[in-house]
Amino acid sequence: MARNVCLIAGGMSHWGVRQATQRDLFQEAGKACFDNIPALSNKDVDGLLVASAYTERCSFQTHLAPVIAEYLGIKPQNICARVELLCASGSSGIILAYGLIKAGIADVIMVIGGEMLYTPQRWEVQYSELASVDHDWDGTQGLGLPPPAFSMVAQQHMQKYGTTEEQLAMVSVKNRRNGLSNPKGQFQQEVTLEEALNARAIVPPLKLYDCCPITDGAAAVILASEEKAKYYTDKPLVYVKGSGQATLNNMSANMPSWTTWEALKIAAKQAYTKAGVQPSDIDVAQTHDCFTISEIIEYEDLGFCEKGEGGHFIEEGHSDIGGTVPVNTDGGLLSCGHPFGGTGIRQGIEIMKQLQGEAVKQVEGARTALTHNLSGFIAAHTVIIYGRDI
Amino acid sequence: MEGISILDGKYAATMDMYPLQSKEFNMIYKFYDYLREGRFTTTKCKDCGTRSFPPRIICEECLSENLDWVDLPTGGTVKVVTEEVRGVPIGFDDPLIHALIDLDGELTYFARVINCQAGELKPGDRVKLAVFPIDPLPVDGRKGEIIKQERVFFAFEKED
Repeated sequence: MARNVCLIAGGMSHWGVRQATQRDLFQEAGKACFDNIPALSNKDVDGLLVASAYTERCSFQTHLAPVIAEYLGIKPQNICARVELLCASGSSGIILAYGLIKAGIADVIMVIGGEMLYTPQRWEVQYSELASVDHDWDGTQGLGLPPPAFSMVAQQHMQKYGTTEEQLAMVSVKNRRNGLSNPKGQFQQEVTLEEALNARAIVPPLKLYDCCPITDGAAAVILASEEKAKYYTDKPLVYVKGSGQATLNNMSANMPSWTTWEALKIAAKQAYTKAGVQPSDIDVAQTHDCFTISEIIEYEDLGFCEKGEGGHFIEEGHSDIGGTVPVNTDGGLLSCGHPFGGTGIRQGIEIMKQLQGEAVKQVEGARTALTHNLSGFIAAHTVIIYGRDI
Repeated sequence: MEGISILDGKYAATMDMYPLQSKEFNMIYKFYDYLREGRFTTTKCKDCGTRSFPPRIICEECLSENLDWVDLPTGGTVKVVTEEVRGVPIGFDDPLIHALIDLDGELTYFARVINCQAGELKPGDRVKLAVFPIDPLPVDGRKGEIIKQERVFFAFEKED
C-alpha cells in the first residue's frame, strides 16, 4: 500500500565563493540537517541520495554517494546513489526519495546536494559550463553559460508582451530584499531599482543583478514515511503531495517556444493533478529565478497569472511578501546563489519552514506550497507540491 | 616528485567541446565531410520521412536506421541578436555574438555569428554559413605514434 511521505528536516552550508573542498561543504550541510532534528541520528537513515552535477569535472570524484555516506556516518541499506539533472538535481533527488519511501523500499532518506564549482581555478567555471548544454551542438557555438539564451528569451518576451527592464529589475530587488535576513545565502545586500537598472551589462538587456551568481555550497533534507515522521518529530508534518518533471527537447534548435515554456506547463499540470490542487491554492512558492525573466515567465506558466502578465504580476506586488503568492521568500537563486545540485534542496527547506510556520519571512497560514526548477538550456522542468494536508 | 607530470605536453582532449570527426571516431562523420564542402546537412528518415536535427544514426520518431543525408539552407534571417560582454567561455572572443536564425523555415537555430562587431548585427539581417578550421586533436595511433585529427566547425556570418 502506498504510504504518505513527509519532509522532516533540512539544513545547508554557507553558500558563496568558498575556501573549502566538496566534501567540506557536504559535511557542513549534513550536520546542519541533522541538527535540525535532534531525535533522529545519522544511524537512523536507511537511504542516501546525493545530487551533484559537476562532481567529476570540478572535484574529479565519481561514486560520490558512498564518499558522502562515509563522511556523514550514514550506513545506507536500501539506496545509496547519485542523481544528476544539473540545476534540478536536488529536486530530482527529492522526487526519487518520495517514490522510494511511498513504495516501501526505504523509510528514512537523506537527500543531499551541492557543488564546489570554483575549482581548481576560478576561470575554469566559464569553460566547465559548456558541458551543461548539448556539448557537441550548442557548446560548440559557445552557448555554455546561459545568459545569451535568457537574453534572447527576455528580448522576445519584451517584444511580445511589453515586459520592461524595470519589471525585470523588480524581481531582483524583491529577491535581494527577501535574502537580506538569510545568513546562509551568498548575498545579504539590498539592491535598489536604480542600482539594478544601472548595473553593468552581461548580455543586454540582462544586467548584473538580473543574473544569479555561480556558487559553492550544499544543502540537505530528510524525507520519511508518515509513521517514521511522527516518531522523530513533533513539528507540524509537511507532506509531499505530488510532482512532475518534463522535457520536450534538449538542443536549442528543437525548442518548441522560447517565451512559453511548454515543458514547465506539463510538469506543473502533472504536479497539480497528483496533488489535487489548483494554482490558486498555492500559498507560497520557490521558483527557479536563475534570471529575472525566468521568474516572470514562471508566474505565467505555473498559472499564477495569465500568459504575458508576468511583468505586471511583479510590478503590482503579487509575488512579494503579503501578495497573492509570495515567491522566493528566502531570496531565491538571485540572492542565495546557485550550486546546481543544492538549489532544489534549498527550495525544499524554505518550503518546509514556511509550512511549519518557522520561516524568517513567514507567509501567515501557509498550507500548500510549490517548488520549481528549470535545468539545462531551459530543457527540463521540475515541479514539486508540498502541503500540511494530504 | 612533482604533482601531475603525467600531463606534461599532453592535451586533455575531453576538455575540448569539438567532437572527433573522422570515420574511426564518429558515426555521423559525413556531416563534417559535407561541412568541409560548404554544405550544412542533417539526416532524414527514408521510412517515415522525419527530418531530424542534429543528425543521428536512428530516427527518433520510428527508430529506423534507414536514414539519408539531406541539405539544410546555408543562409537565414536573423530574428534576435544577443551580445555577451561578460563571462564569455574560454576559447571564444569577447563580445560573443549569437543570433536566433530562421534558416528559411527549415530550422530556427541559435548560433554564433562571427566576423561581426558589437552593434553591427540587427534583426532582419541575412546571414550565411561560415566554415572554419579548429585545432586538430592529437590521438594515439597503433604504434604509439600521435596522429593529428584535422577538424572543422561552423558558425554564421553576415551576407555581403
